[in-house]
Amino acid sequence: MNFAHSTSGTGNHAVVVTRASDMQWLAVEDDREVGRGDASRRPDGRLFLSIDAWHGAVFDRIADAILADLPTPLYAVVDEADHDSRSAWERAGFTAARREWGYRVPTAPEVTGLGSVRPPSGVTIVPAGKAEEDPLRALDRIIRDEVEATAGWHTMPAEVLPRPVGTTVVDPSKYAVARHLDRYVGLVRVAPLPRQPRIGLIAVRADSHRRGIARALLAHTLGSMRRTGIASAWAEVDESNAAALTLFESIGARRAAGTVELVRR
Amino acid sequence: MTKTAGGVEVEGTVVECLRNATFKVELQNGHTVLAHISGKIRKNYIKILPYDRVLVELSPYDLTRGRIRYRYRS
Repeated sequence: MNFAHSTSGTGNHAVVVTRASDMQWLAVEDDREVGRGDASRRPDGRLFLSIDAWHGAVFDRIADAILADLPTPLYAVVDEADHDSRSAWERAGFTAARREWGYRVPTAPEVTGLGSVRPPSGVTIVPAGKAEEDPLRALDRIIRDEVEATAGWHTMPAEVLPRPVGTTVVDPSKYAVARHLDRYVGLVRVAPLPRQPRIGLIAVRADSHRRGIARALLAHTLGSMRRTGIASAWAEVDESNAAALTLFESIGARRAAGTVELVRR
Repeated sequence: MTKTAGGVEVEGTVVECLRNATFKVELQNGHTVLAHISGKIRKNYIKILPYDRVLVELSPYDLTRGRIRYRYRS
């Protein structure tokens, strides 16, 4: 596919935007690429856009072309501190939908205060890689349904890795779980990135809330990292998730970044 | 150094994370540029940290500025 979409100019030269493929747009000026736009579908089905251009006018031309081609709603993400990018998306009609804070989470027990934290009575922590796969998948499904019935999963931090249809647990070995008697009641998923692991998900079944299970899962996970010499982990928390914000800030996690999700409806 | 359709691309190492979502990157030739991250990297939640090896596309309008297009696995 290679349709010429629009022409415009940043100065004395014409910029031509073409749709290079289903999900890519290129802006060319005098035979030189001066910008590009991409679309990709998240596992939850939403279409996210990105545009890179050296000039605001080129950004606008690419955005116009994409908006003419794709149905809304469309989404984009920008860094909280990147005012130029945010302004550019707002010119294209995008508005803020939600915000995530990025936290640097210490692992040192003298900072987290988690050194003496133990799971509540009757609860044991099953380390990552040791959880049984079927009960883990069932727990993940239950928790997602519970979230969907209340706050909605769209308020949870982004999950961007592709996964097979019908599953939400891509790699069971990344999960540690909390077991109460013979059932799983909580989970934490950690992506073992080399220098700063990412806590991608921590959740507890609704009927087991307020027992200190999430705290115990964190104590276990951060303690394991500490023993391998890792000083901090990373986690994203939606700004509306008061319980998660409280949990992370209570263990000394520091807000280090912010991401704004924008939507054009 | 590679010349691509989008401009000149150079490998470098992130030496500092600055405010306004920009990074100071030391290129292989010893020069330092200010770079922001590409929309694709942002969209995919790829975190850039000091000491990361990255591929930077230099701005054709200002060679002291660039855009981080790729983070190498270390």
